[in-house]
Amino acid sequence: MTTRRHILKAGAAAGAIIAAPSLVFAQAAPTRARTLRAVMHGDLASFDPIWTTANMASYHGGLIYDTLFGIDSQNQPQPQMVQSFNLSDDKLTWTFVLRDGLRFSSGEAVTSKDCVASIRRWAVRDGGGQHMFRRVTDTPVVDEKTFRIVLREPYPLLLDWLGKAATNVCYIMREKEAATDPQTQISEYIGSGPFIYNRGESRQGARYVYDRNPNYVPRSEPASFMAGGKVARMDRIIMENMSDPQTQVSALQAGEIDFLEWPSLDLIDTLEKDRNIKIEVMNQSGTMGWCRLNHLHPPFNNVLARRAMLHLTHPTEVMKATFGNEKYFRACGSIFACNTPTENDANTDWFKAGQNIDRARQLFREAGYDGRPVVLLSASNVLHMTNAGLLYQQWLKAAGVNVELVTSDWGGVVARRANRNPPDQGGWNIFFTSASGAGYSNPVSLAGHASNGANAWFGWPTDERNEQLRDAWAAASTPEARMQAARAMQENAWNYVPHVHYGQWLAPSAYRANLTGMIGMPELVPFWNVGRAG
Amino acid sequence: MLAYVIRRLLSTLIVMAIVGIFVFLLLHLSPGDPAAIIAGDNATPEQITGIRQRLGLEDPLPVQFLRWFGHIAQGDLGVSIFSNEPVLKLVGQRLEPTISLALTTLLIAVTLAVTLGVLAAWKANTWVDRLLMVVSVLGFSVPGFVVGYLLIYVFAIELRWLPVQGYTPIAEGVVPWARNLVLPSVTLGLAYVALIARITRASMLDVLAEDYIRTAKAKGVANQSMLLKHALKNAGVPIVTVIGIGVALLFSGVVITETVFNIPGIGRLVVDAIAKRDYPIIQGVILIFSGVYVLVNLLVDLSYTLIDPRIRY
Repeated sequence: MTTRRHILKAGAAAGAIIAAPSLVFAQAAPTRARTLRAVMHGDLASFDPIWTTANMASYHGGLIYDTLFGIDSQNQPQPQMVQSFNLSDDKLTWTFVLRDGLRFSSGEAVTSKDCVASIRRWAVRDGGGQHMFRRVTDTPVVDEKTFRIVLREPYPLLLDWLGKAATNVCYIMREKEAATDPQTQISEYIGSGPFIYNRGESRQGARYVYDRNPNYVPRSEPASFMAGGKVARMDRIIMENMSDPQTQVSALQAGEIDFLEWPSLDLIDTLEKDRNIKIEVMNQSGTMGWCRLNHLHPPFNNVLARRAMLHLTHPTEVMKATFGNEKYFRACGSIFACNTPTENDANTDWFKAGQNIDRARQLFREAGYDGRPVVLLSASNVLHMTNAGLLYQQWLKAAGVNVELVTSDWGGVVARRANRNPPDQGGWNIFFTSASGAGYSNPVSLAGHASNGANAWFGWPTDERNEQLRDAWAAASTPEARMQAARAMQENAWNYVPHVHYGQWLAPSAYRANLTGMIGMPELVPFWNVGRAG
Repeated sequence: MLAYVIRRLLSTLIVMAIVGIFVFLLLHLSPGDPAAIIAGDNATPEQITGIRQRLGLEDPLPVQFLRWFGHIAQGDLGVSIFSNEPVLKLVGQRLEPTISLALTTLLIAVTLAVTLGVLAAWKANTWVDRLLMVVSVLGFSVPGFVVGYLLIYVFAIELRWLPVQGYTPIAEGVVPWARNLVLPSVTLGLAYVALIARITRASMLDVLAEDYIRTAKAKGVANQSMLLKHALKNAGVPIVTVIGIGVALLFSGVVITETVFNIPGIGRLVVDAIAKRDYPIIQGVILIFSGVYVLVNLLVDLSYTLIDPRIRY
């Protein structure tokens, strides 16, 4: 017979079953004051920053791995894990010596073998690494702390690639993990960085916990972007995966989280009024909105139609519709993004003249546009892409173009953009995307800057001069020479028009005012150097 | 009875198999490519094809289906494409928050709804009845996320009585566990309260009009005893039925509530997986949900025999 006692026993047993997993993982945690809780722009879906280009994986990598070099706030690569380095007189052999005391969190010393294996795996996946390794002949290990990179021709960008902050970052892993096929994810996350990934306390899709690495020896120089001393001032960093924008803001106001990477701009006014919250644009080179054209099919296989798109595009309307507050976006005519080392104004008269629908209509006519539908792919779950889709639809119609707006989520766009067939057979003419300004500023590492036809990024532009100029930029040995090459590349690009931009935005971050030492930089949110006042 | 239960359990397997086929086909035929998402925006088409090959997504659909089904038959729901973690492990990690939320919601909702429904029926056509029904209509009409944001604003931001978001495992203390669940449970339970309260009222009104209730009144049975012992038990079958049906409502509500209150439960797991096209997680979780739903309805059917002894299987 069922009695009240039986029910209570069953209830207690059910409670114990529910609680069991938590009891297993429960352990002493650092105090709230020594813990930083952050909500980033997305979930940490994969933990291998070489296997994926996702920024979240790179953030994870920045916490647990270290790099041989790191760019500083002047975009100059500075030694990080490296104690000393030199370049041979013929400029073909780089020799690197590691710092003393470098250890992985598993206790093993960091050796040259780990570095070489990590560089080789990274170079398979990263655009810059691939470009560099086309000139690399060997990577000999000299001893436990010394290794070399031998080139067949001088390559001035080598240190820049090893120290760059944009994905894929050349993080140094143990040889054991670095030996993993670059197309396969690693399964152990052991680094020699300022924090250690706490797998037991983390919950996939919910929160990711990092504890201070007690054995990490930071450099003595002050922290500057990826360079200098990476001093962990917090005992624990927790990256919470919180997807609802209103909840994110409420949690920040209530002090339940300390840092919010991208608060919704609709809610930024609320945060600006709160004395306990500080708003700051951490990444001053921002993000570029990007209208990619398909060069394989009409009308954009004709350069005149592509030029029409330059005149058709309003420099700020998509930004205004999406971000509202002019503090957080700007018009930008440089193909390398604005507020970056390669920003320039070569061949930007079309941009300075502003939107000109009549000129666009005339160019479409001269291109022989025959009224066939132009297929626009728009992602309904990404606001700037939705707005870009609607505005370009309107502008194209005004210029006499027959438009078919195809809406799906971003996953749908990503799948369809790979289709090289004509638009009426599953292909496309235009899709919208975005890339970081810092990534954009690099003519070589951003795949979208390549115009090598079938091997190029989606849209598959072909322009031999562009490829020669990219190589010229990589070979330039001084900042002046690089800028000259960048100007020439932009001059050429805005003639053959690989793609069009629809603005640049600067997403502000919000954090509790008692946090100190936040480092604002492009591509990465570093949590070393961050402490709490009081 | 035993034969009935076995028959129903077997039918559960058939339902799950059909659900599995539908989910697999819908996912693989809908636009989206996890390989492209993994590769990132800077990847070349060749890199994406390489990842698709690694993931087995280049194989013909029937081959992919048989591979997945073969694993399911062995109790293996597969491995997340993105995190490389087994789906069963990921579901296991998310089970406690979702079960906690569902149970506290049911507890609050059923207790409140049945009380309100009985009260409304007892005070039928008075201002009490009308007020309760207006409140229940509101509860059903106002979207959960609106209720959630309002509750957060009042109780977490302004009054600071309760946390905005998150979940504390019960192992870390019953009080923090309960504090985290109050707002989400009330939010999720409100629609449920409205639904059950209205059914309870209607069912109670039918029963209260029966001859045996009039006889009980004539015999001088106290109101409380008449309502709870005589009327409510006989009005129970439709109430239990709607609670069972409401479990489906609860499943969909859990997804929104877990998002608004940042509860790391199964609802969040599946929503995140859909955005990334993490097929094994989506397929696995929907399969589990379908099984749970069928089992809940079996329990509801069996509970009829406890409420009404005339029902036999």
